[in-house]
Amino acid sequence: MSEIVTAGIDIGSGCVKAVLFRVDGERIEWLDKEVARIRNRDPFQLAGEAHEAILKRTGVAREAVAYVASTGDAEALKFATGHFYSMTTHGRGAVFLNPKARAVLDIGALNGRAIKVDGSGKVSSYKMTSQCASGSGQFLENIARYLGIAQDEIGTLSRQADNPEKVSSICAVLAETDVINMVSRGISASNILKGIHVSMAVRLAKLLKSIGASEGVVQMTGGLALDVGLVAALNEALVQEKVALVAESHPDAIFAGAIGAALWGAYRHEKLAALETMAA
Amino acid sequence: MTIDTTSKPTESMPTETMPATAEIVERCRSLYEDLDFSAARAWKAAVPGRKVVGFMPVYAPLELIHAAGCLPLGLFGGGDQMEVIHGDAYYQSYICRIPRSTVELGVTKRLDFVDGMIFPFVCDVIRNLSGMWKLMFPHVWSKFFDTPQNFDPEVGGRYYVEELKELRDGLGTLTGRKISDDDLKRSIALYNENRRLVREVYAFRARAPWKAPTSEIYLLMRAGLMMEVEEHNRLLVAYLAAAEAEDRPKRDNVRVAVYGSFCEQPPLNLIKSLEMAGCYVVEDDYALVNRFITEDVSTDGDPLEALATAYLKHSVETSCKYVPNEEDKGKYHVAQVRKARAEGVIYATPSFCDPALLDRPMICRRLGEAGIPHIAFKYAENSGQMQPIREQAGTFADSIKLWS
Repeated sequence: MSEIVTAGIDIGSGCVKAVLFRVDGERIEWLDKEVARIRNRDPFQLAGEAHEAILKRTGVAREAVAYVASTGDAEALKFATGHFYSMTTHGRGAVFLNPKARAVLDIGALNGRAIKVDGSGKVSSYKMTSQCASGSGQFLENIARYLGIAQDEIGTLSRQADNPEKVSSICAVLAETDVINMVSRGISASNILKGIHVSMAVRLAKLLKSIGASEGVVQMTGGLALDVGLVAALNEALVQEKVALVAESHPDAIFAGAIGAALWGAYRHEKLAALETMAA
Repeated sequence: MTIDTTSKPTESMPTETMPATAEIVERCRSLYEDLDFSAARAWKAAVPGRKVVGFMPVYAPLELIHAAGCLPLGLFGGGDQMEVIHGDAYYQSYICRIPRSTVELGVTKRLDFVDGMIFPFVCDVIRNLSGMWKLMFPHVWSKFFDTPQNFDPEVGGRYYVEELKELRDGLGTLTGRKISDDDLKRSIALYNENRRLVREVYAFRARAPWKAPTSEIYLLMRAGLMMEVEEHNRLLVAYLAAAEAEDRPKRDNVRVAVYGSFCEQPPLNLIKSLEMAGCYVVEDDYALVNRFITEDVSTDGDPLEALATAYLKHSVETSCKYVPNEEDKGKYHVAQVRKARAEGVIYATPSFCDPALLDRPMICRRLGEAGIPHIAFKYAENSGQMQPIREQAGTFADSIKLWS
């Protein structure tokens, strides 16, 4: 395999993530990364800007990128060579970030996915949360806004809880009503947030069980992977559900989809080259 | 006797005045979306005495309708833009949607200009719809067109010639004009040209699917079933020239064949979703009527015999045609997949479509034996949630790209 440069672009519900890699067989070098919150802007334009910014910083010419792989909601990205689906890319990205990972929980702004992978990041099973937003980052953002706290405080506050309140795990609307009642009853923000984390964690633990993930490391990816309160609640729920999995996070977990896209792009580029050689 | 088409489409539309694909597709889209069938109404109103004959999937000999001087009008249900209110009252909940929306089209007077209706054999539901139509719209000439399930020329062939004669007589009574053999031969020649051009378009798509997206081809073919064949021939020529000339980027998509969608049609958004999910559809059985017959129909000898021979010997395999030997089931699909160089198959069937769903295990088993990756899902003509379909098709495409 010759040395190639590949890019990965992940358009999520809340953020656009872009990465650039140099790949030469087993040798993988992560050249750069960029994340931009969408905030009502055109995600495709943001993706283009993020990609260009990375190319400029790394000094890589646009034509030198062998494969631009998109993922997430980026199917219509015009400059992409090909698109890979989120479970495929998060599986590969999670194994890159944590080679011990044999399951992945990708929790983004709008939904969550449990993915079972092998050591190469190949997906063997997956399941998504239902359409209800109660297991999503957007829901947590809403709650933080009601409680008047910053998003990055959610995890720390949740870990300070001493008596978490039970929150509906079925429906975001019911859960939000629960939270309004709790606020009026004077329940602390810590106990409310922990209650929400517990309700989400129980659902996620069941989701992991349903895909047959039973032991090893479950790597958290997506925007909520950095929520230490959710990771802690998930580990408690896994014990409670008697699943021998340990949830771990990574500072670059938000880039897992883009990383996976870039690495699968490199793999695909080589595969296509091999197919062309065979055909010739 | 060999009949040549009098005005070749290539002569009537020089390439320098060819419209762009967007223009052609937009015209086709407006025809496809128009559930009042304004163009067909206008065609009828243009000359007193003109008649419009509607036909349902999967196959009807359009040459006969054309030879009778009528406009063949393809009726494929109400799609995803029409709310079915009355139609639901006529059917149990376990019946597919196309008969409901067709009844809806009828009772809401959207088909009040249609003089005749042909209900080809697809399944019991469509057969019974022909009887319902006779009761509900007694002033409309209706015909259940029963294609043969026996492919012995002495048995199924003889039967089919009689069925064609009955259809010819029925159309003659409707128009008050006997269809002569020469009339029919001229129409056969025009439809041979149409089939040749249709095959050319599909071959072009299989060769360069990024230049001819299936969402466009589909509109081009559906619109063609709502206009005169001569006009459709010109449109096909124009599209081929425009698509060839257009520079469209090629993406790293997988080549798939879609089967199971021969009767109730998927919403256009479903086709677009498959393409967005990373699939180039290079083979399909959408709206099969214009490529049901795979070779030219002879314009020599008895034209009804020629149509019968074409049906018996040169027609596609679909679930509404009996395959006498079970071990042959699905072989056609495997051969078509190989011919189109498809890398996988999406077996997408309408919910409650008995023919397609009963065939699914046999065809999928045959695909599996041939080492062809496949997935299956169901839809309805008004399916609105495309996210699960995109996810399924997208992960299927990923698995082919990376691990096949």
